Amino acid sequence: MTNKTNRLFCWKRELSVAGAYGGLLLLLAGAAPDFYAGDKFRTILVSSAPVLVAAVGMTLVILARHIDISIGSQFSICGVVAGFLAAAGLPMPLVAALTVVGGGLMGAANGALVAGLGLPSIVVTLATMVSFQEALRWERQGAKVMGPPDFYWFGLGQTAGQLLVVAGAGVVFAAFAWGLRGLAAGRAVYAVGSDAEAARLAGIRPGRVVFWTFVTMGALTGLASLLAAVRFPDVDPNMGKGLELQVIAAVVVGGVAISGGRGTPVGALVGVLLLASIGPALAFLRIPAQWEKAIQGAIILVAVASDAFNLRLRRHAGAGLVAR
Amino acid sequence: MLAPALSHADPIQQRRGFGVTHERVLAVLLAAEVLLFCLIGHEFATGKNALNIIGLGVEIGLLALALTPVIVAGGIDLSVGSLLGLSAILFGKMWRDGGLPIGVAAALSLGVGALGGGLNALLITRLRIPALIVTLGSMSLFRGLAEAIARGVDNFTVPEHFQRILGEATAQVPVLAAAAAVAWLFLHRTAAGRSLYAIGFSPEGARHAGIPVERRVAWVYVVSGVASSLAAVMYVAHWSQAKADAGMGYELAAITAVVLGGTSIFGGRGTVHGTLLGLFAIVVLQNGLILADLPKELAGLLTGGLLLASIAVNQILSKLAKKGA
Repeated sequence: MTNKTNRLFCWKRELSVAGAYGGLLLLLAGAAPDFYAGDKFRTILVSSAPVLVAAVGMTLVILARHIDISIGSQFSICGVVAGFLAAAGLPMPLVAALTVVGGGLMGAANGALVAGLGLPSIVVTLATMVSFQEALRWERQGAKVMGPPDFYWFGLGQTAGQLLVVAGAGVVFAAFAWGLRGLAAGRAVYAVGSDAEAARLAGIRPGRVVFWTFVTMGALTGLASLLAAVRFPDVDPNMGKGLELQVIAAVVVGGVAISGGRGTPVGALVGVLLLASIGPALAFLRIPAQWEKAIQGAIILVAVASDAFNLRLRRHAGAGLVAR
Repeated sequence: MLAPALSHADPIQQRRGFGVTHERVLAVLLAAEVLLFCLIGHEFATGKNALNIIGLGVEIGLLALALTPVIVAGGIDLSVGSLLGLSAILFGKMWRDGGLPIGVAAALSLGVGALGGGLNALLITRLRIPALIVTLGSMSLFRGLAEAIARGVDNFTVPEHFQRILGEATAQVPVLAAAAAVAWLFLHRTAAGRSLYAIGFSPEGARHAGIPVERRVAWVYVVSGVASSLAAVMYVAHWSQAKADAGMGYELAAITAVVLGGTSIFGGRGTVHGTLLGLFAIVVLQNGLILADLPKELAGLLTGGLLLASIAVNQILSKLAKKGA
């Protein structure tokens, strides 16, 4: 399993998803040219920016051969916290920093349980998902948090605010896409996900890598939540509902292998864009919007099934039957 | 690939070393919970409330019972809640728009569950895609189909006599008891059931021991699908309507019950009675908190904490047992 073939395989996967996305765009150009007329594209970009930021974090976690299903609850909590901090009169940069730190702390709780005690991440994050969600419901009872005027689009007005949201997500994406390729810490995540024991013998501390992956996941969730919350004047405490599965689906469609060690943030980006475009595309192709989820599900299954035809996956014969 | 799978607790060692099994600890905990709510709950210790608790647990219980063999065999099925919704909608559709007698429609919707489970089984065993991913995709697909068929707004109200037959304790108690008995006999008293432990512990080893791994695993997912649609019929009768968001989030509740009951998420370990204890620990908590006028969100917080504590204690015990051996 050399690095070189790994790479080639990865790009092949990302290119095929990008091809599918290109096909969808071409289909729209032919069947519904209006799609390109309005600001539909911009709307898709702005609404997928937070999902992309969370998907970058999820890419890290899945690369390290773990999973985090608590990010939906973390996302809601961070959004509410950001709303409260802003309402308390703190300046926006401080609000942003504190929200990211808050997310990082929740990620650290997951990371400590997973890496410190060696508990399975799917059970740990299932438990923290339920706990975070119920704690928030207890506190808020579903009531929205009214943000101050300078919270809505960072107080910059819609156009500049949208630009800032997309740019923020773009910077995070670029940093991680580069860092995972070029930094020792990034390569360590791949190493631990491919084979934790081999990574340990190579001088990497798998526990530490896994812990910091979860902290990063939490911090990115905090940032994502802020980017999502500023799009509305008030913060909905249910804003993160179902986000975890949406993000995992996008990452998996983008070719990040659930068995760890394989995939890139570029794939996650293509996956996020493809899944986010289905809904708007349906509207333009005059297909009832209720089909969106079914089509997304079918895309996930087709994407992973086409992977399975690849010879490489056959090598992991036993792994196919195991959840994690 | 095998090293992480082998690192989890060895059940035999654990039992010899401490004499406390996960199930016994959980049983004591459940008893304590019941005792506490008898003291602080209003009208908790009544026969009516006991039936009420079973009614609350029947749908998730059916899902959890079917998920136990799935997880024991090293898999997972996230699609059960969505398949419940899809079966419920198709059940309503066949009865109201298809003009079928309600009993026939209910029987046919069990076939829907078998088909849905069959799709999972096919992708997992033939294409060897991780179960987590397959069922994540089919979770979205089934829920999406349910929404598309219901067109977002439609729901079906079933006649009152159907609700009286299947929607009350007189049906819920025997159905849950029968499902539990079947699951227990299968998992603990048949060769096929026992072989799932071998498969969960090491699929490759099980294959070398002559177990038809793919076939066994495929059936486990088909049965999980049928259980989801049975839960759908019970749901429709219980709440007297079929709607597209039926069973939303039930998959996580059912998995919580199974894991709380001592089944290892890596497979190879778990019991049906453990799952039942896990289920009732959660349901009694939900019911008791409401009757004791305590905030109902505590149920989720305590369940999450309990889940973490139980796997952490298991992990520490198994590490100690390994050191002692």
